[in-house]
Amino acid sequence: MSVTDVLTVARLRLVGITIGVLAVLGAVLSGIFDVDLSRLITRGFVTRSLEMATPITLAAVGGLYAEKSGVFNIGLEGFMIVGAFTTAGTMFALGGTSPTQGDVWVAILVAVVVSTLLTAAFAVLLIRYKADQIVAGLAVWFVGLGFAPFAAALVWGSRSSPGLTSIDRLAFGQSPLVFLTVVLVGVAWVVLFRTRYGYWVQAAGENPEALDTAGVDVDRVRYATVIFSGAMAGFGGAVLLAHAGNFVGTGSTMVDGRGWIAIVAYLFGNYNPVGAAAAALLFGALDMLNVQFQTVGIEISARLVNLLPYVAVLVVLTVYGKTRIPAVVGEPYETEE
Amino acid sequence: MSDSEAASNGGGVLDAVAARLLDASVLERIGIAVASTTLAILIGLVVAAATGYDPVRFASQLLVGAFGSERAIARTLRSTTLFVLTGVAVAIAFRAGVFNIGVQGQFVVGGFSTVVSIIWLAAFVPSGTVGGVVLLLFGTAVGVVAGGLYGALPGVMKAYGDANEIITTIMLNFIATGFVGWLVAGPFGDPEATATRTRRLPDNVELPQAVFGDPNLSIVGIVLMLGVVALVAVIMTRTRFGYDMVTSGYQDTAATYSGVDAKRMVISTMAFSGMIAGLTGALFVIMIQGYYTDPSGIGNYGFDAIAVSLLAANNPLGVLPAGLLFGGLESAGSHVQINSDVPVQLIDGIVGLVVLFVAAPELFRMIAARTGLGGDVE
Repeated sequence: MSVTDVLTVARLRLVGITIGVLAVLGAVLSGIFDVDLSRLITRGFVTRSLEMATPITLAAVGGLYAEKSGVFNIGLEGFMIVGAFTTAGTMFALGGTSPTQGDVWVAILVAVVVSTLLTAAFAVLLIRYKADQIVAGLAVWFVGLGFAPFAAALVWGSRSSPGLTSIDRLAFGQSPLVFLTVVLVGVAWVVLFRTRYGYWVQAAGENPEALDTAGVDVDRVRYATVIFSGAMAGFGGAVLLAHAGNFVGTGSTMVDGRGWIAIVAYLFGNYNPVGAAAAALLFGALDMLNVQFQTVGIEISARLVNLLPYVAVLVVLTVYGKTRIPAVVGEPYETEE
Repeated sequence: MSDSEAASNGGGVLDAVAARLLDASVLERIGIAVASTTLAILIGLVVAAATGYDPVRFASQLLVGAFGSERAIARTLRSTTLFVLTGVAVAIAFRAGVFNIGVQGQFVVGGFSTVVSIIWLAAFVPSGTVGGVVLLLFGTAVGVVAGGLYGALPGVMKAYGDANEIITTIMLNFIATGFVGWLVAGPFGDPEATATRTRRLPDNVELPQAVFGDPNLSIVGIVLMLGVVALVAVIMTRTRFGYDMVTSGYQDTAATYSGVDAKRMVISTMAFSGMIAGLTGALFVIMIQGYYTDPSGIGNYGFDAIAVSLLAANNPLGVLPAGLLFGGLESAGSHVQINSDVPVQLIDGIVGLVVLFVAAPELFRMIAARTGLGGDVE
C-alpha cells in the first residue's frame, strides 16, 4: 500500500468511527429517551461545543507539532493548568473582580508568555538533559496540580477564584477566540505540510540523521516545537478560563483532563491539525451534551454525562488503535561526534 | 542496550527508558533519589520564603508534622502503608514496561467494591468476631478482584486494540472517580447520612490496633504492607513469571524469543498491578475510612504512588523508604494545614518537582561533574 492508500484508509476509518459514535448516541437518545433530535441540536449547543472544543484544539495542535518532531509532550495538561491560572491571576491583578475586556486580552497574552517560559525550561530538561519524556511530562501535570491551587490559595485564600470576567462574544454569539483558533489551525496545517520548516519538523521525528546531514540542527527544531506546544497548551488553558470567567482549582482543576483529551484528539486526527480540530469538536460536543439533556428534560445525572468524553476517548483509542507515530518519538538525538 | 533496535518502533521507547533505568547502578539511583528530593524540598522552601512565609518555620513544621509526636508517627505510618502498597502496584507495571497511571482508579474501584460487598454479605453472616473475619476476608478478596479487573481492562485494550495505556488509564481514573462518585451519591448512598457516603461497615469488621493507639492504624496493615513488598520482590526476582515480566520491560524482543506471549504479559501485568491497587483500596476502607465517600476527596494515593515508585527506581524494596518519605510529607501536610497558614498545596507542588527531577538523572550527573561534588552520583 502506498502512503496515500494508508492515509485514505485511516481517514475512512476516522469518519466511520465518528459517524458510528454519533449514530449510536442518536439511536440511544431517540429510542430510549424518546427525544426529538432536532430539539437536541440547537444553535446554542453548536456554540457551546465550539467553545469547549477550542482549548482542546489549541493544545492538540501544539502537542502534534512536538510529537511530529520526535518529542512526546505529555505535559500538555499541566501547561493548560498553568495557562488557566495565570490568566485568572493576571485578570485579578489588573482589574480585581471586575476586569475589563482589555484586561482579559492582556491576561491571555501574559499566560502565553508564562507558559512559553516554563516550557522552555521543560524543553531544556527534555532535550539537553535527556529527561524521560513520559515521567517528566507527568511531573509537569503534578507540578501544575500542586502549584496552581497553591498560588490560587495565596491570591484568593481559596483554591478557586471569585467570579472574574469572561470574554465578550462577537458575531453569532461566538467568542473571538473560536475564530482565532480556526485561523491558527489553518496556519498550523499550512506550515506543517506546505513549508520547508514543516518538513524539518517532520524529518526531526522520522529521520533526524538525514536532517542533521542536510545541515539542520535537530535539537533546535525540537526546542522550537516543544516550546510551541507548551505555549499553545498555555493558550488553551487561557482560552478555557476566558470562556469560563473564573478559576477552579479543586480536584483535578478546571482543566479536568482536557490536556489528555487533546493528546487523543491529535492521535485521532492522525497528526493533522485539521483532523485534530475535528476530533476536539467531537469531544467538546460530548462535553456539552449535559446542558442539552437538561433543556430537553432527560433525567440523567450531570456527573454521568460528564464522563462521556472520557468513554469516547477509550472507544476511539481501542477501535482506532495504532496511529502511525513518528519513528523516533521519545528518543534524544545524539549527534555523531 | 541496542539503540538501533530501540529506534525501530514505539515500544522501543519503553525499551530505551527501561534500559537507561537499569543501567544506573543502585548507588547512583539512591544518589539521584536523595538529590531530587533535596532539591525539590529546597525549591519548596524558597517558594515559601518568596511568598512571605518563614521557610525555617515551614521546614520545622514539616518535620514535627511527620515525626514530632507519637500521634504524628502513627499518622505517618498510616499514610506510608497506603503509599508503599500503591507504590508497589505502580512498580510492578513500570518494571514490566507498562505505564499504569491508573492505580488511583483501581484503588477507588477496589475500595468501593469492598465496602459494597461487605455491606451486602453482612446480612447473611452472624455478627461477632468470626463473622467479622469472614466479612473482612470476603470484602478484601472482592476488592482485589475488582481492582485487578479494572487494571486488566486497559491491559486488554493495549494488547488487542493497541490503545496507549498511559491515556486509557488516565481516562479510566476520571471514569472511576465520576462513576463511583455518582454511585455513592445515588444508588449506594446512605439515606440517613447528611454527608455523601455509603452506609458504614458493620462494627465487627475491624482490625486490631497498632502500638500507638491510633484507631486508624492497625498492625495488620503494617504487616500486610511488609508482606506484599516481600512477596512482590520474591515474585519479581525468583519466579518465572517475574523474570518474564521484567524481561518484557527492558527487552521485549528477547522476551518474545524466549517464548513470552507479549499480549498476555501486558494483561497479566496490568491485572497484577491492579490487584495490589485494589488490595490497598480494601485496606483503606477497612482500616481507615469505614465507609466510602466521593472519591474526588479521598486523596491522590494512586497518583503520588507514581512518584514513590520512580523515586525507588521501580524496585519493590526501594518503595519502602520512598513510601515513608511520602507518608511523612502527607502527614506533615495535615499538620501544616492546621498549624500553619502556608497553603498545603505547596506540598503537592514539591511532590511534582521530585518526579520532575527523578525523570532527569542527567541533570544531576552534570551538576556532579561540574561541581566535582557528589561522587556517589557520578
